Amino acid sequence: MPTDTKRVRGPEVSQSPSLVTSKPAAALPSSGPRADGRQRDQVDVRPVFVRCGLVSQAKGSAYIEAGNTKLMSCVYGPRETERKDETDMKCGRLTTDMRFAPFSCPERGSWIQGSQDRDFSLMLYESLQPAVCLHKYPRSQIEVSVMVLENGGSVLAHAVTCASLALADAGIEMYDLVLGCSVRQDGASYVVDPTYAEESGGSCGGSSEDAGGVTVAFLPSLNQISGLQSDGEMAGETLTAGVRTCIEGCYKLYPVIQQALLKAVRKAAPPPSES
Amino acid sequence: MGWLSSLLENMSPMKLCVPGDKLCSVEDCIPGTGVYLRHGYIYSSLAGYVLRKNEGEELPVISVVRETEAQLLPDVGAIVTCKVTSINPRFAKVHILYVGSTPLKDRFRGTIRKEDVRATEKDKVETYKSFRPGDIVLAKVISLGDVQSNYLLTTAENELGVVVAHSEAGAQMVPISWCEMQCPLTHAKEFRKVARVQPEYLDA
Amino acid sequence: MATVQVSEAEKVYILHGIRDDLRVDGRGCEDYRHMEIETDVVSNTDGSAKVSLGHTAVLVGIKAEIGKPRPMVPNEGYLEFFVDCSANATPEFEGRGGEELGTELSNTLYKVFNNKQSLDLRALCISAGEHCWVLYVDVLLLQCDGNLYDAISIAIKAALFNTKIPRVHISSDEEGGKEIELSDDPYDCMRLQVESVPCIVTLCKVGHRHVVDATLQEKACSVASLIISVTHKGTVTCTRKVGGGSLDPESIFEMIEAGKRVGKALHAPLMKLLQQEESLGKKRQKVGFLG
Repeated sequence: MPTDTKRVRGPEVSQSPSLVTSKPAAALPSSGPRADGRQRDQVDVRPVFVRCGLVSQAKGSAYIEAGNTKLMSCVYGPRETERKDETDMKCGRLTTDMRFAPFSCPERGSWIQGSQDRDFSLMLYESLQPAVCLHKYPRSQIEVSVMVLENGGSVLAHAVTCASLALADAGIEMYDLVLGCSVRQDGASYVVDPTYAEESGGSCGGSSEDAGGVTVAFLPSLNQISGLQSDGEMAGETLTAGVRTCIEGCYKLYPVIQQALLKAVRKAAPPPSES
Repeated sequence: MGWLSSLLENMSPMKLCVPGDKLCSVEDCIPGTGVYLRHGYIYSSLAGYVLRKNEGEELPVISVVRETEAQLLPDVGAIVTCKVTSINPRFAKVHILYVGSTPLKDRFRGTIRKEDVRATEKDKVETYKSFRPGDIVLAKVISLGDVQSNYLLTTAENELGVVVAHSEAGAQMVPISWCEMQCPLTHAKEFRKVARVQPEYLDA
Repeated sequence: MATVQVSEAEKVYILHGIRDDLRVDGRGCEDYRHMEIETDVVSNTDGSAKVSLGHTAVLVGIKAEIGKPRPMVPNEGYLEFFVDCSANATPEFEGRGGEELGTELSNTLYKVFNNKQSLDLRALCISAGEHCWVLYVDVLLLQCDGNLYDAISIAIKAALFNTKIPRVHISSDEEGGKEIELSDDPYDCMRLQVESVPCIVTLCKVGHRHVVDATLQEKACSVASLIISVTHKGTVTCTRKVGGGSLDPESIFEMIEAGKRVGKALHAPLMKLLQQEESLGKKRQKVGFLG
C-alpha cells in the first residue's frame, strides 16, 4: 500500500495511556488495611470460587476465581507421545502450557507465547510433576494447559491449584493435590495472596530492605513443597517466614478445593453399586 | 480439616475422597486400584468413591473408583481390539481401539510383525494373506516397544486374529476355516488369520 | 540439559559418601570445586569474564548500548540477559535443543537482578526518560559439567566488575535540543558498583543431605535442587526449586540457611581476586581459553 506522505503518521510503537497517567505505585499505603478490606500480616487469602468440568471436550478441566484473578485449566490425555526421541519408556510425560490472554493484563499482550509465559509454564511443570504418578502412564503424555483470563495477582499460585484440580478431575492418578499460595513482603509487613496492584506496586514503593514475592506450591497431605520461587530482596529469616505463611495459606484453601472436587465427582456419577 | 477427619472415622463404603487422602493402614486392607502405598498406609490417588470389596481373602480390597473406567492404557498381556490401517511384507500397522472391553479415548498405534501373526510355521507367514486394511483384529500386547517402535502385538493364539473383515465386494465375510473367510455375496474366498472367537470376548 | 547415566551401584556409592560428608572427588558437602576466573578476555566487549568451575566453563560478554528507558522507570537503565546454549557444550543443545534451558537460565537471571540492591541502575541513566545505558549480558556456555547457575552468576559478577562504560555528557543548545557527547579520552570510563551483585548457590538434595556445586553424577542422584541468589550482606534476591522432585519444608529452610552461609562466604574472596587481577594491569599474565 502506498504511504500517504501528507498524513501525519502515528508513532510505530504505542503504549497504553494508563501507564503514563496513573501511578498506582505511589498510591498504595504500606500500612492499614488493604484496598480490598483484607488484613495485612495475616493469612487472609481471597475467597476462591472453583468449579470442575467446564470444558466438556477435555478429559478434565477446572476454573478458579480469586478476586479479579480468573483462570481456567484443561487436561488432555494420556495419549501417545509426540516426541518419541526423549521418551523415558517407563514413565509418562507431563507437558504444561500456560498462557495469558492478550487482555488479561492492563497492558495488551501478544498471542505468541513470550519468555515470561514459558517461564510460568516451566514453573507450573516443576510444581505439578512431583504430584503426578507418571509411572502409571508409560509411553504416553498428559497435557495440561492453563489460560489466564484476567490477571488479578498471584497468577502462578492459582494456576498451580487450578491445574492440579483439572488433573484430578481428569482422573489422572496423583499422589496428592497441589495447592499454590503467594506472599508479598513489603518492608516489615506482608500481604498474603497479593492483588495485581499490590504485586506491581510494592517493588516501586518502599525503599526498605525486604521487598519481594514468594510463591509456594505445596502438597498438603504429604507435607512437601513441590515448587518454590521468590524474587526481590529478602533476608533469610523473612524468606523462611514467607514460605511458612504460604503453607498456612495453602491449608486454608485445601477444604475449598476438596469440596469442589467432591462435588464434581458426585455430579459426574452416582455412587457405584456395591458388588 | 475437621471434615477430613470425619471422613476417616466412619469409612462407610460409599465415601468420597480426593488424591492424597489417607484411607487406612496396610494391615486393614489390600490396596486395589486408584490407591498407593506410603509409609505403611494406603492413600487415594484419584478423586472418587472409596470401595471395599471382600474377595475371599482375609482382608478386603480397597480401591478408589470413578464413574468411568478412567485411564486404561494398553499393558503387556492385555487383549486389545484393533483396526488394521496398513500392511507391508514385514508387518501390519494397527490402531488400538479397545483394551479388554474399555474403549480408548485417544488413538494408540500398534504393530503386528510378520513373525507374531501365528504360532506355527512363522517363516511361511505372509502378511497379505493374514490381514487387510480395515479388518478388526483381536490381539495381545507383547511389549510396549522401544523408542522407535509402537506397541508390539501378537495374534499367535487360536483365539486371536481377524474377527471382522469385509470382502472386496464390501460384504462382511464369514469365517470358514482358521485361515480363510468367504464372502456371502460372491462366494469368493479370501485368506485371513481368523480368530476362533471365544464367548467371553464377544461383548468386546 | 546435559545429563549422564548413573547406575544403581554408583548411586548408592555417591549417596553413602554424601551421607558421611565425603564426596567422590574428596570435597565436603559445602565445598566448591576448583575455580578459575579471568576477566577482560574478549576485546570487543565492554566487559567480559571467563569462569571455569571444574569442567564447567562459561564466558560472559557485556556490551553497553544507548537505549530508551522503560516508561515505568524513566530514571534507570536496564540489563538484558541472553544465555546461549550452543552445540559446543553438548550435542544435545544442537538446533533448538538448548533453547529451553537457555530461556530458563535467562529468566532466572532477570529475577536475580529484579531488585534495587544488586546493581544501581540509576547510574546507567544518561538523561531521564530519554536515554540510558542498556547492558546486554550475553552468556555463552562453553562446557557443561554441572552447576551452571553458580558459574554463570560468578562470571556475570566478574564481567560487570570488568565493564567500562564510556563517559558521556549531555550538552544542550539554545533551542533546548540535547546532544550526547562522547568523551574524547578512551580511558575516561565509568565503572559499576558490583559489591552487592548476588551470586547464585545451587543446593542439590541428595539423600537426606544437600550438596553445593554438584557434579553431573551427583545431580543424577538428586531429585530436586534449590537455587538461591545471595548478596554479600546475606540478602536473598531469588530462590527457585528446580528439578522434578519435591522437598519437605524443613529441608528447604535448612537449604536456605546453608545457601546463605555459602553464598556470603563466596563474595569476599571473589572481590579480592577481582581487585588483585585489576591491580596487575598490563603485567597480568593472559591465560586465555586453553589455560
